[in-house]
Amino acid sequence: MTATSFEELAAALKPEADAIVAQYEDSRSALLPLIHRFQDAQGYVSADAMRTTAEWLGLSLAVVESTVSFYTLFFRRPVGRYMLQVCRNLSCTMNGAGAIMERFRERLGVGHLETTEDGLFSYEEVECLAACDRAPCMQVNLEFVYDLTPQAVDDMVAAIRGGTYPVKPLAQTEAPARSWHVSKDAVPRVPGGRDVPDPNDPGGIGDRTGVIMLDRVVRDLSPDRTRERLVKDGRELLERGH
Amino acid sequence: MDTRPVLMKGIGEADLRSIDVYKSRGGYEMLERAVKTMQPAQIVEIVSKSGLRGRGGAGFPTGRKWQFLPENGEPRYLVCNSDEAEPGTFKDRMLLEETPHQIIEGMLIGAYAIRSHHAFIYIRGEFLRGYEIFRAAVEQARAAGYIGKGICGTDYDLELTIHRGAGAYICGEETALLNSLEGKRGEPRLKPPFPAIKGLYGKPTVVNNSETLSYLAPILRNGAEWFAGVGTERSTGYKIVSISGHVKRPGNYEVPLATPIRVLIDECAGGLRDGRKFMAVQPGGGSSACLFEEHLDLPYDYESMAKNGTMLGSGAMVVFDDTTDFVHAALALVRFFAHESCGQCTPCREGGHWLEQMLERIVHGDGLESDIDLLKSVSHQITGLNLCPLGDSIEPFLSSVVNRFEDQFRAYVKVPVAS
Ligand SMILES: Cc1cc2nc3c(=O)[nH]c(=O)nc-3n(C[C@H](O)[C@H](O)[C@H](O)COP(=O)(O)O)c2cc1C
Ligand code: SF4
Repeated sequence: MTATSFEELAAALKPEADAIVAQYEDSRSALLPLIHRFQDAQGYVSADAMRTTAEWLGLSLAVVESTVSFYTLFFRRPVGRYMLQVCRNLSCTMNGAGAIMERFRERLGVGHLETTEDGLFSYEEVECLAACDRAPCMQVNLEFVYDLTPQAVDDMVAAIRGGTYPVKPLAQTEAPARSWHVSKDAVPRVPGGRDVPDPNDPGGIGDRTGVIMLDRVVRDLSPDRTRERLVKDGRELLERGH
Repeated sequence: MDTRPVLMKGIGEADLRSIDVYKSRGGYEMLERAVKTMQPAQIVEIVSKSGLRGRGGAGFPTGRKWQFLPENGEPRYLVCNSDEAEPGTFKDRMLLEETPHQIIEGMLIGAYAIRSHHAFIYIRGEFLRGYEIFRAAVEQARAAGYIGKGICGTDYDLELTIHRGAGAYICGEETALLNSLEGKRGEPRLKPPFPAIKGLYGKPTVVNNSETLSYLAPILRNGAEWFAGVGTERSTGYKIVSISGHVKRPGNYEVPLATPIRVLIDECAGGLRDGRKFMAVQPGGGSSACLFEEHLDLPYDYESMAKNGTMLGSGAMVVFDDTTDFVHAALALVRFFAHESCGQCTPCREGGHWLEQMLERIVHGDGLESDIDLLKSVSHQITGLNLCPLGDSIEPFLSSVVNRFEDQFRAYVKVPVAS
């Protein structure tokens, strides 16, 4: 989403946000409701949404991020237009959920917590949805689907692909990656910085600039090796652009 | 046997979501009577006398919980718990979607009884449809003068706020719920202080389950004696039991407490599927230990369940027949608890994860015979060392099935061969 359109969204939401805040004795209680509103509009919880929520509620961004990350229904990365959440808990497992999950994985070509390449489907295996009398069950964009069979899975996938499925798609303001799950999409993971394509570049795990610098400070420049001296020489090196 | 005697009466026959239909059946009469003619203390006394116990899982006497509130200490809050996520439980969702006004009336009566002017309901994030239905019902009730300034034409103000969760089983635990309602991570708080002393925003707060609150209007209408006369001395009244698993007619059944388990399975839920044999029943949600053949004639009440090493919990009954693979069943529940641990306590966070990995190893055929003892030992070591009951919920089901069906576990593991 472009900057202006996010600002437009925030401006449009502001009156509703004020009304939500007014419902509570403490404005921080509005955190979850506001994040829900932003996610409904953007399809996921964007960095802009968290920053704006923090601003509106007078919280630090870290507090908002940490809170948002606690809840599984808040997606911190873009997801598909149809979020398929299949129950993997007890009553469903005992009534054939295994075959349902297998069929979804096969038909969609993705696994747990993954999104199809065309950005249409996100797939997740979830815990008890409180519909055990109609097992196996699932939710599609939070609408319940009951008494699943492998055939019903095929029909659903075909209907969504064909644009005839009766559940409204989620908003999608950005193309999703393979997974929306933060722990999953950090692959290949470069310690020291996600945005470093080559591990030997500055900031990557292979980047030895800091080590070399320290080595030089210790060996060549700071024969007496006191803490003050190390810090001073290090600063000078940095300033000279090494 | 009438399996819809009180709260479920009319579900599927009338559109109870409509305030007009609800009122035509006597709805909101008890709220009017309460705020117009009764003192809050009178209501507390009636509820205490009825013997009503919390239907959310812990079974704590509702009247007594209300009496823990300090005499003064304005403001105070009532919070209705509709976060229902205990595996096997599906009654609060039904109440929310089918008869929302009954919950609203209960919340308003409960709030009045504890002299609260602001009630909240916490609705599980996944229940989007239930949330929308409930919100529409609240708007109807507000338009009819039951919510807001001067309810029912009296000078009593009572606000009602709906709060949606966002995916986290642990937010059903009352102090985690309060944190979540305050806009925080849903991590349970150390108790004491209990919510009755320091709850929402640090103020005295009562948290009650939506089924508990729904029983308030019927109790006011029919009297404490009516409710206390059903069930046993300490397990009074009716309870909605969610029955699922390997039965012919899974569903919600509202029955007198102390109905024998056999009646629940055979008469209510239609018994097992043809040609199948009964193996076990988990009587009180994912956190409860299994009962077996020899327990089928036990009355389904709080005391009988506790005496037999399990619990009635939220009233979720899962029935297992002889096709059940208890190793997979154990994995499904252990994985659930590992996934839902909030992570504050090491035994719960790490122990659940270890057990999950061990069970994964076992179902994949890589387990060792010694893993069976390890399962028992690890699960026992988790118990009793945690901040909230979730950590202690991992062990009961696992232990009960490992002990009873050890042969099933043995069939999966490798036995070392002497060389
Ligand atoms: C892990 C955990 C999950 C819980 N989930 C729920 C729930 O979903 N709904 C509920 O009413 N109570 C739940 N409880 C029980 C609540 O903490 C609390 O006892 C209950 O809401 C009180 O209401 P009651 O006295 O009317 O039963 C849970 C408890 C624990 C430890
Ligand atoms: S027992 Fe588990 S869920 Fe409960 S507070 Fe501790 S870590 Fe969190």
